Amino acid sequence: MPNFAEPMTRLIDELKKLPGVGSKSAQRLAFHILRSSEDDAEALAAAVRDVKAKLRLCSVCNNITDVDPCVYCSNPTRNHRLVCVVEEPTNIGAIEKTRHFNGAYHVLHGSISPLHGVGPEQLRLSNLFRRIDAGEVDEVILATNPTVEGEATAMYISQQIRRPAVKVTRIATGIPVGSDIEYADEVTMLKAMEGRREL
Amino acid sequence: MPLKESEAIVLRTYPLREADLLVTLFTRTEGKVRGVARSAKKSKKRFGGALEPLTYVRAYWDDRERQELARLDSCEVLESPLARQVTYPRAVALGHLAEVLDELLPDREANDAVFRLTLTVLEQLAGDRIWMPLTYFQLWMTRLVGFLPELSGCVACGAELNGSRAFYHALVDGLMCAEDKRLASSEMSRESRAVAGEMFRAPIENFAAVEWPKARAADLRKFLVQTLERHLEKKLVTAGMLERISC
Repeated sequence: MPNFAEPMTRLIDELKKLPGVGSKSAQRLAFHILRSSEDDAEALAAAVRDVKAKLRLCSVCNNITDVDPCVYCSNPTRNHRLVCVVEEPTNIGAIEKTRHFNGAYHVLHGSISPLHGVGPEQLRLSNLFRRIDAGEVDEVILATNPTVEGEATAMYISQQIRRPAVKVTRIATGIPVGSDIEYADEVTMLKAMEGRREL
Repeated sequence: MPLKESEAIVLRTYPLREADLLVTLFTRTEGKVRGVARSAKKSKKRFGGALEPLTYVRAYWDDRERQELARLDSCEVLESPLARQVTYPRAVALGHLAEVLDELLPDREANDAVFRLTLTVLEQLAGDRIWMPLTYFQLWMTRLVGFLPELSGCVACGAELNGSRAFYHALVDGLMCAEDKRLASSEMSRESRAVAGEMFRAPIENFAAVEWPKARAADLRKFLVQTLERHLEKKLVTAGMLERISC
């Protein structure tokens, strides 16, 4: 790397730590910040500071939020007896996009991953089980990813819940809407056949 | 250059750059091959669920000149671990197979015996019934890579252990008699040594109907894991997780 002034080198080094940002991109971003106005640079720095200072996890569902409980948990129009369990906070956005789910969420912040040494004890499960034990939940929808890790996580949670009063469901897997069966892979097709429903 | 083609077992994937995956495959014809699956993270069209760990696939790749990593072109699923229920014990057992294979197998060295062993063990790994296939896998894997010491004699004095008590220790490469055992050694039962003998003589299918709780041959499994870890000079992440499974 060429010799830049010390503050510039420091900024490039920090930007390089971001995912998907290599040396060249970091340099480009650093020079963009250098050329931007004082206000823009200050706004960026303040936004980064605020993210760390103001955001925390919702005490009910573990979603990332600036108010506790989060907007989903504090919304009285939502059905809090229906809880959708997701791996990451970003998964909530995908479900909200459907505009058809009016329940609450629970974020695990990961999934069981034996190869990375992540077991159930590393997941944020305790407050989910507390909600269930308190009789606040009628149905738990397990919306973890349809991968080996996501399936193992869903199966583990369903086995831990096992209470007659609580219904446990798993999101369906199968052929994406608008695609062609001809191009579906074997596993997806198998899951689609298994999960067929009566019309 | 035409694409290479082989049956393979997916061992691991790592995220690479924005949308690619670095994939470790255990191929039948060339042993362990590392390659890049372009855009596999972003688009599931070409690879679908084929890159899930322990998926048995037909892989197509090309080796690029002067480059260590192959370019993975496509994978066709032959058998997926997702086709059967993935319980927590099964997920840990699958992870253990992947970790042991990845750690023990050298790059680009075909090993058909290990490949066949893995396929038969994967076939038997179902639901919570993991301990028999795991014992079989660990035992044969340790033997096939040449790390398994003689189980019938004392490693210190050479005395026959058949019928007498046998002990093992994390730092000793083999079993010891009662006289030569080290401080803090553990005992390996006669039953477990008999199980090892039976497993060397019979295919895994012969044990499929046998009731196999976690306690059965647990000392043999611990001995095998210690043997593997001593040769690898590192702890196996999944071995600790297997120990904590209660069923």
